[in-house]
Amino acid sequence: MLISDRMLLKVIVLGDSGVGKTSLMNQYVYTRFNKQYKATIGADFVTKELHIDDKPVTLQQIWDTAGQERFHSLGVAFYRGADCCVLVYDVNIQKTFETLQTWHEEFLKQADPSEPERFPFVLLGNKVDINGGTSRAVSEKTAREWCALKGNIPYFETSAKENYNVEEAFLCVAKTALANEHQPLDVNEMCFERIPTTISENDQQERSCAC
Amino acid sequence: MHMFKSIRSNKANGDMESYFPVRPDCQEHVPKTRFKPKVGKTLSERRWNAAFQKDGRLDIAGVLRRIQRGGIHPVIKGAVWEFLLGCYDPNSTSEERDNLRKKRRWEQYNSWKEQCKTIVPIIGTGKFVTTPLVSEDEEPPDNNGIDESVSDAELDKKEIQWKRSLHQIGLDVVRTDRALVYYENEVNQAKLWDLLAIYTWVDEDIGYVQAGMNDICSPMVILLKDEADAFWCFEHAMRRVRENFRSNATSMGVQSQLGILSQVMRTVDPKLHQHLEGLDGGEYLFAIRMLMVLFRREFSFVDALYLWEVMWAMEYNPNMFADYASNDSHEVVATKLSKKVLLQYGKYERKNVKIGRTDQKSLLAVFLVAGVLETKNKKLLNEAKGLDDVAQIMGDITGSLDAKKALTEALKIHKKYLSKASITS
Repeated sequence: MLISDRMLLKVIVLGDSGVGKTSLMNQYVYTRFNKQYKATIGADFVTKELHIDDKPVTLQQIWDTAGQERFHSLGVAFYRGADCCVLVYDVNIQKTFETLQTWHEEFLKQADPSEPERFPFVLLGNKVDINGGTSRAVSEKTAREWCALKGNIPYFETSAKENYNVEEAFLCVAKTALANEHQPLDVNEMCFERIPTTISENDQQERSCAC
Repeated sequence: MHMFKSIRSNKANGDMESYFPVRPDCQEHVPKTRFKPKVGKTLSERRWNAAFQKDGRLDIAGVLRRIQRGGIHPVIKGAVWEFLLGCYDPNSTSEERDNLRKKRRWEQYNSWKEQCKTIVPIIGTGKFVTTPLVSEDEEPPDNNGIDESVSDAELDKKEIQWKRSLHQIGLDVVRTDRALVYYENEVNQAKLWDLLAIYTWVDEDIGYVQAGMNDICSPMVILLKDEADAFWCFEHAMRRVRENFRSNATSMGVQSQLGILSQVMRTVDPKLHQHLEGLDGGEYLFAIRMLMVLFRREFSFVDALYLWEVMWAMEYNPNMFADYASNDSHEVVATKLSKKVLLQYGKYERKNVKIGRTDQKSLLAVFLVAGVLETKNKKLLNEAKGLDDVAQIMGDITGSLDAKKALTEALKIHKKYLSKASITS
C-alpha cells in the first residue's frame, strides 16, 4: 500500500472550550466552516496528506481534544507519541489566554517528552475576524511576549471562519513536527521564510508578523 | 381521499423529519434518518392509550414488546419515556402519578429554580450566558463574623462552584443540535440552559461536565412540553449514565465502562482484542463518545431517539421505580419469577435476572460497541495498522448503522459473553 512508507506526524490541539479547535481543524483539512459544530467529546482526529519541500507524502494526524478540563485525566493516553502540540486561544476572551499556561504545563507533564524544553509548540490566536478585531481582549504583542518566554514558540493569528492564516499555521505545525522527528532545526527559520536564513542572524531577529 | 392517505403514509420518513424539522441549510451535514414507524410494530398513540386500565395502571409487558419491535411513534415519545426511564411506576394509578408529578413540579423543580434565580437572575428569563460570571480566582467570601455558621460557608462555596459552570453550559448549549429548527429559537436554547443549570445545582456530586450532558438533555427538552417534566426525564436518564461523568485528577468515570468493554472483547473475540491491543488501542478510548452520549453522534436525531427507546425497553426492569425511590436494588432470585413477571423485563435485563447477574445493569451500550466492533471485525483485522485507522473505521459507521440491527447484534454478543463467562468461571 502507498501509505506503508508514510511519514506520520502526530499533532495534538489543545485549548479552552469554544476557542475554535475543531473549526480550525476542519477549515484546514476540509476547507469548510459551519456554525453547527458540536462540542468535542474525548478526542476527534483527522488526517491530512501534504508535501513538504518536495519530500514524499507526509500524513499529518491531528488530534482535536475536548476543551473540558475534566478530560485532562485522559491526557496521558491521548498525548502519547505526539510530535507537536498546538495551543489555541480566543483573542477576544482574556481567560482563554490565561489558561494557556496550564495547558502548556499539563501537556508536558502528561506527554512526558524526552526533552521537554525542546518539545515543539505552536500558538494560534483564533477568531481575529470577530467585530473586525475591535473586541480583542489580548493584543498580538502580549501573545508574542508569552511565546518568547516559552522558548520562541511560533505564533499565528487566525480566523477559522474566514480561512485566514489557517493553511500557513498548520504548514508551520507540520514543519515543526517534522523537525522534531528528525534533527533539531530552528523552527522559526522554517516557518518564517522571509526571515534571514542564517541561524545567528535569526537569533538576533525580533520575530515579526508571521504572515 | 383513501389513496391520498396511503401515498402520504409511504412517505413515512419525510413525516418523521416533520416532527423534528432540520434546517434546510443543514440537511447535508446531518446523517440520514432510517427509522420509519411501522404499522403493527411501532407503539402507536392508539395502542398506548389502550394499554392503560381504568384506574391508570399500565400493561408494561405489552408496551415493552411493541417498543422492542418497532420503537415509539413521535407524538407519544415523551409520555412513554417517562415510564421507560423509571420516572413513574406502571403499577401506580393515574391519581398517584398526578400527585407525584405535582410534587416534582412544584415542591421540587420550581422551588430549586426559584432558589437558583435569586443567585443568578438570568435563569428562567429566556436568555443565557456563554462568558464567565465569576473570575477564576474568586474565593468564597471570608467569614469574619463569628455568627456565620459553617453551613453558610458551604453554601457560598456551592454557589461559586455552580456559577462557574454556567458559562460552560452556555458554550455547550450553543453547540447542541444546531441543525434542528427548534434550537434556532434562543428561548428554546435558554430552556436547555435552565434545565442543565438546575441539574448542576441539584447534583452537587457530579456537577456539570462538558462531555455530553447537553446531548442527553436536548431530546427531553423537545419531547416534554412541561419544563419540569423534561427535567425529571433528564434526571432519570442521567441516573443510568452519571457515573461515566464522575471524574478526578487521574481518571474519568467512563473508564470503568471501557474496562468492561475490554473484558467483553477479550472474552468474545480474543483475536480482535489482541489486534487492538497491539495497536495500543486496548483501552478502547475511541469508544468514549459512544458510551458518554449513547451513540447520539453516530445517528440522526430521530434515529438516536429510536435507538435509545429500544435500548431502554430492552434494559427495562420493573423494580426500577421502587429501586430509585428506596435508593436500593432488589436482589431477585431467578426461580421465584413467574413467566408473567419475566415479561415485565426487557429482553436484555431478562437474561441477566434469569441467571441472577445484577452487575450488568444499564450496560447494553457497552455490548452495542462490542457489536459494532464485531461487524467491523474483518476490516479492523486486515486494514487497521494504527489507532488512526481504527478511529477511521469506527467513524465510518456514522449514518450507516441500522439501530435495530445493531441492538440485535448487541444482544447476541451479550448472550455469547454470558455463556463464555460462565464456562470460564
